Amino acid sequence: MRPAGTLTPMPSGDDATEDATVDTVDDVAAGPAISIYGIASAVLAVVAVVAAVLAAMIWSGHRDHADELDHRTRVMQAAVDWTNVLINMTAGNVDASLQTLQDGTVGQLNSDFDAAVRPYREVVQTLQSRTTGRIEAVAFESLHHDLDREPGTPPPPSPLPPEMSARTDTVLVIASSVSENVGGQPQTVRWNLRLGVSEVDGQLLISQLETVR
Amino acid sequence: MRNVLRVIAFDLAAPLAAIAGLLLIGMFLGWPLWWVSACSILCVLIVQAMVVNAVLWRRDGVTVGTDDDAAGLRLTTVVLATASLAAAVLVGYTGLTLPDERLDQDSAEVVRLASAVSEATATFSPQDPTSSINRAAELMAPEQAEAFKANFGKSTEDLARKNISAQAQTISAGVEVIGPDAASVAVVLRSSQNAPGQQPSRAVLALRVALAKPDDRWLVVDVAPINAPS
Repeated sequence: MRPAGTLTPMPSGDDATEDATVDTVDDVAAGPAISIYGIASAVLAVVAVVAAVLAAMIWSGHRDHADELDHRTRVMQAAVDWTNVLINMTAGNVDASLQTLQDGTVGQLNSDFDAAVRPYREVVQTLQSRTTGRIEAVAFESLHHDLDREPGTPPPPSPLPPEMSARTDTVLVIASSVSENVGGQPQTVRWNLRLGVSEVDGQLLISQLETVR
Repeated sequence: MRNVLRVIAFDLAAPLAAIAGLLLIGMFLGWPLWWVSACSILCVLIVQAMVVNAVLWRRDGVTVGTDDDAAGLRLTTVVLATASLAAAVLVGYTGLTLPDERLDQDSAEVVRLASAVSEATATFSPQDPTSSINRAAELMAPEQAEAFKANFGKSTEDLARKNISAQAQTISAGVEVIGPDAASVAVVLRSSQNAPGQQPSRAVLALRVALAKPDDRWLVVDVAPINAPS
């Protein structure tokens, strides 16, 4: 019992520690060490930690998704750039264009480049004309049926080994080239191409070229 | 030791977690102006509360975390921090994860529909002339389905009379562009046609299929050749 009208001094740091110790001992003696508030706080803390982990996962997942879309856009752009050179080849720039095209390829397509582009070279040299190419449609392929493959036979291997490129995406490019001959009717060449685009050392290169027939 | 843990948990971690939750909400929403404003105010209030708490600690040697008589206040700080992080998860899930998943599902769905409609429009059997037309029309918007049936009705009669059959199979298809309620898909098909007394003919068709999602269901609104001879 404190006498009325007197001031009690603030406890010093040591006193406070002692008081806290005494209180803790009293709490232990009087009831549970953790009150209902403490339990609720602990549960909420666990919920908060889980929420923080989930938020990190959500952000990471969204970044991965955005990166994937960005990669697809770059893959489609690489295919468009390469096809633009192909469909705008004329007899006058065929050698320079073919060199540009070969520089943009990798793997088997690069090794067998002359054989792969021979039909296109022949078309260009036959036309001997001014050619204007136009890309009509570009799509990131998500459905493919190899109608010429016998049922039960294994699918063709990836154009590049996994250690060279982790992934190869296929882009469907539909284009047309109009060749104007002097004194003749304009001729239209239609291109339905499937291009395999592989990322090699951070560079997107064409690893597969197929004319859809 | 117990007080040190309380200070770390209730006086530092809880308000910082609340601020982190608010900042995460901003990141997930893409920092719209209204949230920049609201978040700034809320963060200032939290920092202000931390400063007041620090001043009280210097003056009285007690904080929210160490005050044995403030269990309710401690719980409130944890509730607010948890609510902030939980709100961030909710905003992130509904604003980022669900749209991302929906985009992937929609991409697969529009390609499937475009392929099915393209095959149906280029397929014809004289024994059942309207089956492929009906199959394609089922996947089209009502107005387009009617127009499609009207357009192809006349040519099917002609093909049936001549006993011509046609079969189409998708070789390749992919999304050109897609949004929440519209998409365009490029489809390349191989079409084979058989007419009595003639060699079977084969052609490659490139089609652009436009789709819309008026009522939470993708429907084809247009099928057009991409580089057809003019």
